[in-house]
Amino acid sequence: MNGYRIGVDIGGTFTDFTMVDDGNGDVFVEKCLTTPDRPEQAVIEGIRRLAKVRPDALSKAETVIHATTLLTNVILERKGAVTGLLTTEGFRDVIEFGRELRYDIYDPFITFPDPLVDRPLRLGVRERVLVDGTVRTPLDEAGVREAARVFRDNGVQSIAVSFLHSYRSPEHERRARDILREELPGVEISISSEVHPEPKEYERTSTTVVDAYVKPTAAQYLEELSGKLRGEGYRHSLFVMMSNGGAATAETTKRFPVQAVESGPAAGVEAATHYGRLIGAPRILSFDMGGTTAKLCVVLDGKAERTRTFEVDRVQRFKAGSGIPIAVPVYDLLEIGSGGGSIARVNSLGLLQVGPDSSGSKPGPACYGRGGKDPTVTDADLLLGYLDAGSFLGGEMKLDVEAARAAMKERIADKLGMSVAQAAWGIHNIVNETMAAAARVHIAEKGQTARNLTLIGFGGAGPVHSVGLARKLGCPAVVIPPLPGVMSAFGLLTAPVAVERPRAVRKPLPLLDLAEAERTCVELEGEAAALLPPGSDIVFERTADIWRMGQDYPLEVSLPGKWTDAGARERVERAFDEQYELHYGRIDDETPLEIVTLRVKALRESAKPEVAAKAAAAMPKARNTRAVYVPARGDYEQVPVYERAALCTGARIEGPAIVEERESTTVIDRGDVLSVDRFGCLVVQLSQ
Amino acid sequence: MTAMQNDPVLTQILWNRVISVVDEAATGLIRTSFSSAVRDFHDFSCGLFDERGSLLAHSTKTTTAFIGVMPYVMRHFLDHFEAASLQPGDAMVTNDPWLGCGHTYDLCVASPIFHKGRISGYSICIIHHLDVGGRMATTESKDMYEEGLRLPMVKLYSGGRFVPVVERIIRANVREPDKMFGDLRAQLVANSVCARGLVSMLDDYGLDAASLCELSDEISRRSELSLREKIRELPDGTYRNDVTLPTIGGVSGIRIKVAVTVQGDEIVVDYDGSSGEVAAAVNVTFNMTRSYSMYPIKLALDPGIPNNEGSFRPVTVKAPERSLLNCKPPAPTWGRTMICHNLPEIIFGALASAIPDRVLAGSGATPLVFTYFRARRKDGRTYVGINSSMGGLGATARGDGPSCRGFPYNVGNIPIETVENDLPVVYLRKELLTDSGGPGKHRGGLGQEFEFEVADGDLAPVGPLVVSIRGSGRKPESPYPVFGRLGGGVGRGEGLTLNGVDLPHGPQQQLKPGDRLRMALPGGGGYGNPLERDEAAVARDVRLGKVTVEAAFTDYGIVIGADGRVDSAASVAERRRRLQPAQPLAASR
Repeated sequence: MNGYRIGVDIGGTFTDFTMVDDGNGDVFVEKCLTTPDRPEQAVIEGIRRLAKVRPDALSKAETVIHATTLLTNVILERKGAVTGLLTTEGFRDVIEFGRELRYDIYDPFITFPDPLVDRPLRLGVRERVLVDGTVRTPLDEAGVREAARVFRDNGVQSIAVSFLHSYRSPEHERRARDILREELPGVEISISSEVHPEPKEYERTSTTVVDAYVKPTAAQYLEELSGKLRGEGYRHSLFVMMSNGGAATAETTKRFPVQAVESGPAAGVEAATHYGRLIGAPRILSFDMGGTTAKLCVVLDGKAERTRTFEVDRVQRFKAGSGIPIAVPVYDLLEIGSGGGSIARVNSLGLLQVGPDSSGSKPGPACYGRGGKDPTVTDADLLLGYLDAGSFLGGEMKLDVEAARAAMKERIADKLGMSVAQAAWGIHNIVNETMAAAARVHIAEKGQTARNLTLIGFGGAGPVHSVGLARKLGCPAVVIPPLPGVMSAFGLLTAPVAVERPRAVRKPLPLLDLAEAERTCVELEGEAAALLPPGSDIVFERTADIWRMGQDYPLEVSLPGKWTDAGARERVERAFDEQYELHYGRIDDETPLEIVTLRVKALRESAKPEVAAKAAAAMPKARNTRAVYVPARGDYEQVPVYERAALCTGARIEGPAIVEERESTTVIDRGDVLSVDRFGCLVVQLSQ
Repeated sequence: MTAMQNDPVLTQILWNRVISVVDEAATGLIRTSFSSAVRDFHDFSCGLFDERGSLLAHSTKTTTAFIGVMPYVMRHFLDHFEAASLQPGDAMVTNDPWLGCGHTYDLCVASPIFHKGRISGYSICIIHHLDVGGRMATTESKDMYEEGLRLPMVKLYSGGRFVPVVERIIRANVREPDKMFGDLRAQLVANSVCARGLVSMLDDYGLDAASLCELSDEISRRSELSLREKIRELPDGTYRNDVTLPTIGGVSGIRIKVAVTVQGDEIVVDYDGSSGEVAAAVNVTFNMTRSYSMYPIKLALDPGIPNNEGSFRPVTVKAPERSLLNCKPPAPTWGRTMICHNLPEIIFGALASAIPDRVLAGSGATPLVFTYFRARRKDGRTYVGINSSMGGLGATARGDGPSCRGFPYNVGNIPIETVENDLPVVYLRKELLTDSGGPGKHRGGLGQEFEFEVADGDLAPVGPLVVSIRGSGRKPESPYPVFGRLGGGVGRGEGLTLNGVDLPHGPQQQLKPGDRLRMALPGGGGYGNPLERDEAAVARDVRLGKVTVEAAFTDYGIVIGADGRVDSAASVAERRRRLQPAQPLAASR
């Protein structure tokens, strides 16, 4: 391949760009301020900047792929379409009931997010399918037309249709869709039997409503962006990152936009996975720390585990059950309220607490000098000498050390009877420890031990905390890839183009007709391949959701080989048992297994870009030194500061040391040894 | 002075860690459970203890009933079992109402946690099993012997296997033995996940059994101090309430009398003068009385601190022996929550004058309303299942109550598609109940109405569908202590009918195909004077169909014109007219 590939990650504050020249492996990076009202403007702006470096960037681009928080923001800010919901008569309030749980029994003032569809636009229609798929009440077609009239009169732009038991018998939903299409041309329609054909009416309806709610915005945005890219000379399909880590064409995304709601975090995991493969580390811990949260994900043999649902618009960001559920598979990553902006305080028990709330970008940490009075992790990092007041964001943003010191003294140090340095170290240490505590649980849940994991750190604050976190966890090595500040955008270039097709099966494994299962998988392969852009080199991955009969939460088990291979049944059983024991421990159980769903993923790997490092072998020279808190010593000392751009493959630095680049800073302690590998990664071997 | 006391950073970290460990155990339980009572209803709790049996933490997901049980139940196990007699792969069980959770349906499974060859702690997983034999789920039982199998403290699991004789006895006594053992395994999974988590924590931080006790003492000490400080802010004195409950299980005139005495940094909750044991199966064991007395105090005074051994030390609960709130064997106890779910609101009623801004107005489905079902399938197997539905939550000084959430318990509904898969019923509707929220400056949450029919044809059961409905009708005229606060009105909408005929809560009913059961659950109580409710909030409620135009006028004095907009001038005039002293509020209802 000789063209370019471009990754665009639209975040809350910045839109990040990476471009790789597949001819020679050159990688280019850009950053623009996000334009929230018209996100495509920032995209075009950044693309034009790339075109200044390489004028043929767009005409020779093979792929433009992008991830965006746009759809999440549309939901958070309630800026989606005027949406109607059509349900079985008598059940229109399902999205307001939810599961009727209080997500926190100790919050007397508990609140819940407003439903995305206003009550007057939730309409019921006479129809009823029973649990066995038989029809108790036929669809009242005149009733659907009447509902259409109400929707039209209220300016409805998009409609979700969700009938009881439609996962078993979708006929009524399909017929309702056809009638609504006739009556309301131009209005988008999502039906639950296509969006999420699984039982449990609340989760299915909620997912379908989110799909409908973001659909017109997604369609309009993707069309405009595709058009503008064409205007800039781009000739191929625009790709969008899906929540599950594959990329799909804009056309596919427009059909099921709910699949793209959580695309940003998946891109970060893809990038970490890519570097894990590149450096030959089979087991990694992906660690992405930004301004408000840290995201951790265990990736084994190039695969991150997935979970079946996630939530948007949580009233309490870190409380499960306080948001709107979306039943779409996403990487099972752990998100906690530990970021650069996390606020530190002495709590009512006299204990030092950091996060989970964040000062955000306004007012931001005290050192931003924008009126923030609360000390944050960034303030602590500055006072410890890990960050430099003058070279933060390449010197574009001067930090106010005195403001940080005042906040730290007044709000923490004086209250706990400590020095400012002790308080700052306390905060740095506790945020690392908080992340470590959460990571240990996550790692244990995956049946792993940190001693076997390589930590790959990125995000603005990631490299500052990676080595400290790894030390607490007991990870032997840390890798900071090139461009850690734009890793998600880079991850877009490494993600495969992929489509997944599930098929509900619900058969006890002992009774499964293996020939039929094989036929089903082959069919699914055909369906999935047809959704990929044409071409050869498609790889298929088969998995199955399996549980013990009577359970409700399956494990996703990989299926190597064919169902018709000798011993397939036993192999599947063994794979399930191993995974079950890994998750839940060893509990003897004879309950037969049930195959819930067969899944096939068709994917085409993209060429993996490499950021070539410079190959000179001169001894690295420190740019200068500064006073840095060295934990091994428990005090400040003069520590050499290196510029990352000046480090070449083979460079070797002994800690304590600081390595600075524009968007981040890597910190190593005494006894740690940092070297630069041939991919430009900083590889830190930890003293233990 | 221990090492932990010197290290506030490490204490906080380890405290978070032990909570993560039990939460992880709860996740393992949900994912491996065979019953919607765990997966959807969330009637469970997981706890982690040090080697002395002191509670370090319980799972964030927990039903309220178990929070006052957890600190005691492990000690009961250790009174029965010598620690030295326990081996890796052992687990103990009991469902004794007096040692455990107040009725035979809740099985406590406890496991030792071994670290470096010795016991370093224990874990417990409690869940509600839908059937333990007996006449099953009815207020009609006359003593505990009718209420199914009672398991004394016995070893359930030994050397990594179920103890054969115990397994055989249990299997011979229950209706769905496979499902029950599936769920017992899920409880063992929870304990195994908890053990793995604790062991890795001990290893990660170089701790042992002794330092775990130190940690336990330190978080208990801090939690206790925190609550004591909050209690000290209350004015000393005795706060009283005296309530007669509506007819429950056929028993009328049940009286709950409470005196909440605040003295310095301690609280004594005394139920002296309350009714004695009753003939219906609604008697409350003392451990349940304790749970539901401590919960409202914690919720109102110190909600942010996780529970542990120290959390409840400043609070003493007393109830006379052999009274309704401290019953003794062989009193029947199945429907104990029909009584004890009232306690938090009764205590709020007592404390409301002292802390009006911290209490909730009464909630619509207090006590919990839920339905047990049992029938035979055509293939001879059993149907056993439940449904559950909440009324509106009471409003507070800060805002409206959410619709359809339970108080003081916290359980979820079972999805309709799950209920219809598990049981021979067909839902006809489940919708918010308009005008059910108690009017107030802040409106109570809306209640709901649902109706189902017993399936006919292919899906019909063989013989009757046996149904018992727990809860009690909360009628607006019931003398509930805090059902509407400071001028806020009561929630409305109570009703339970079978084919249009009123039905009492509690006793078993035998339903046949085509029978229709309808239930309306009231909204929550309102808070503050409804004439002070924001005009726009009333207009919004009307637009959303939560309040009718008529109720907007009657309850709130808001005039809505034919165009659906508020007639502001007319509304102001109407409200002013009603606020005249001669026109007392609520006279219109």
